[in-house]
Amino acid sequence: MGYFSDSLAAAFQLIISFDKDIYQIAITSVSISFFAALIAASLAIPAGIYMALNQFSGKQIIQHLLNTLMAMPTVVIGLLLYGLFSRLGPLGHLDLLYTPTAIIIAEAILIFPIMMNLAIVAVTSADQRLVPTLISLGAKPIALSIQVAKHSRFAILAAIITGFGRAIGEVGAAMMLGGNIEGFTRTMTTAIALQTSKGEFETGLALGLLLLVIAFIVNFMLSWLQRPHS
Amino acid sequence: MSSSYQLKNIKVHHGQQCVLDIPELSLPEEKCIALLGDNGAGKSTLLDLLAFTSRPDQGEITLKRQAALYPLHPKQRQMIGYVPQHPFLLAGSVADNIQLALRLQGIERKQHQNQIKQALELVNLDHLAQQAAHTLSGGELKRAAIARAVAYQPDILLLDEPFSHLDQIHSQQFEDIIQHLASQSGKTVIFSTHDRLQGLALADSTINLVAGKTTKSPLLNLFHGTMHDQVFDTGHLQIHTISQLATARHIAIDPSEIIISTQELQSSMQNHYMGRLILIAEEIGTIRLTIDCGERFHAIISPKSLSDLNLTIGDTVWLNFKSTAVSIF
Repeated sequence: MGYFSDSLAAAFQLIISFDKDIYQIAITSVSISFFAALIAASLAIPAGIYMALNQFSGKQIIQHLLNTLMAMPTVVIGLLLYGLFSRLGPLGHLDLLYTPTAIIIAEAILIFPIMMNLAIVAVTSADQRLVPTLISLGAKPIALSIQVAKHSRFAILAAIITGFGRAIGEVGAAMMLGGNIEGFTRTMTTAIALQTSKGEFETGLALGLLLLVIAFIVNFMLSWLQRPHS
Repeated sequence: MSSSYQLKNIKVHHGQQCVLDIPELSLPEEKCIALLGDNGAGKSTLLDLLAFTSRPDQGEITLKRQAALYPLHPKQRQMIGYVPQHPFLLAGSVADNIQLALRLQGIERKQHQNQIKQALELVNLDHLAQQAAHTLSGGELKRAAIARAVAYQPDILLLDEPFSHLDQIHSQQFEDIIQHLASQSGKTVIFSTHDRLQGLALADSTINLVAGKTTKSPLLNLFHGTMHDQVFDTGHLQIHTISQLATARHIAIDPSEIIISTQELQSSMQNHYMGRLILIAEEIGTIRLTIDCGERFHAIISPKSLSDLNLTIGDTVWLNFKSTAVSIF
């Protein structure tokens, strides 16, 4: 018990003293997840809205594929991208392996199906009269998508935040593609794994607490967005 | 007479069930047309097709002599204003909703304020222009939706059950609005209602729908039942017809074809029923009698006939009509 409480006290000390290394890792982690969420959202949200508003052949297959990808283990994504980005791989010449960009790509791929699925749900769960009303008022396809997105903005924002939350907690792909390089690709999750294996439990705990705070903020924002809106 | 819409071989299915089956239908231009029919007759489905917010499983619709393709061409879209039975207003004020319609229709920004004002004045809602849409009452919401639909000055206005769930005062207001819109030059108003008398009173012509099919009968005496040997059995009455159609499930009798007498008539008419007079109502220069003979019949007579027959509510009367007066479908 003494070991745990001493470590917890040391972890709090690291946080309140604004330990440079701890906050450097947190900033790296947040910025990587932010850009991953931004890239994924810019593709997944329009794709989700398009899929929800249109009927086309193969729609069912795409839906099944999205559901499957949502459950895909992160290490599998890490493994596939490692094969692509490694020096002998087809994209090896881009020198992306062990860079934040590689982690951003992996996390964006990881959260894309989550965001797209949630965007589909956001549109399909909107009032059934919304789309026919907009069509009858003269909305062309792009204007229709914009108006539907505007109407479902809280649910769509919730989709983006959920994706961000999933990205920041990811460890497998970040470890494989980032290499856990201090001050460069070291994220909170990879640092926790490393520090714990090195026996520096208090550093791991301090990062874990920070991760919890971020998770709490993300969930608070989600709850706020999902409250009933008039 | 030129037509606003022409429909050909239209079929709409919900699952296995065919909910609309119209081989051919022409809706005249610059007229007020009522779609009459009971709940589930296919009125809303037909209006959705006319508004091009849904497409038929089969068939073609021509809009003002031009083929209509999906999605509708913006110029054709601008011809149609549609107010569904349960209109949906987007977040924002009443004026915001109208402005959105103007924006989507590509109306120049400098005309917006003027057109919003005109549309709101038409439905007596100018005092609520800045009110949030979600705070409107049922009647106000319908009026706001009409304002939104007429703001871009469409040639055709489609209204689905505009009088449903309205009290008498609001219903009267809506009748006035419809009459005003229909009286404007170049405008076609098509509205649906299950109140046949209201439809007949307001419209220049009517389209009657029964179980997804159009019929020429005004549906004032509409009965459901089965046919055996040219006799239609409603469950309460046997009505003689001239039809051989054994699969017929609906009949209607034109109320102006019914002859009312105070004694049994000796005539060539095959249908004679004794009943009790339960309602006398004056309607646009005619008298409508409602008679209970086991089934309720409506008959239209002149004020002079009413006076000659000296009828009062509760009287026993005879109701007579020819078997040829019965429409079968």
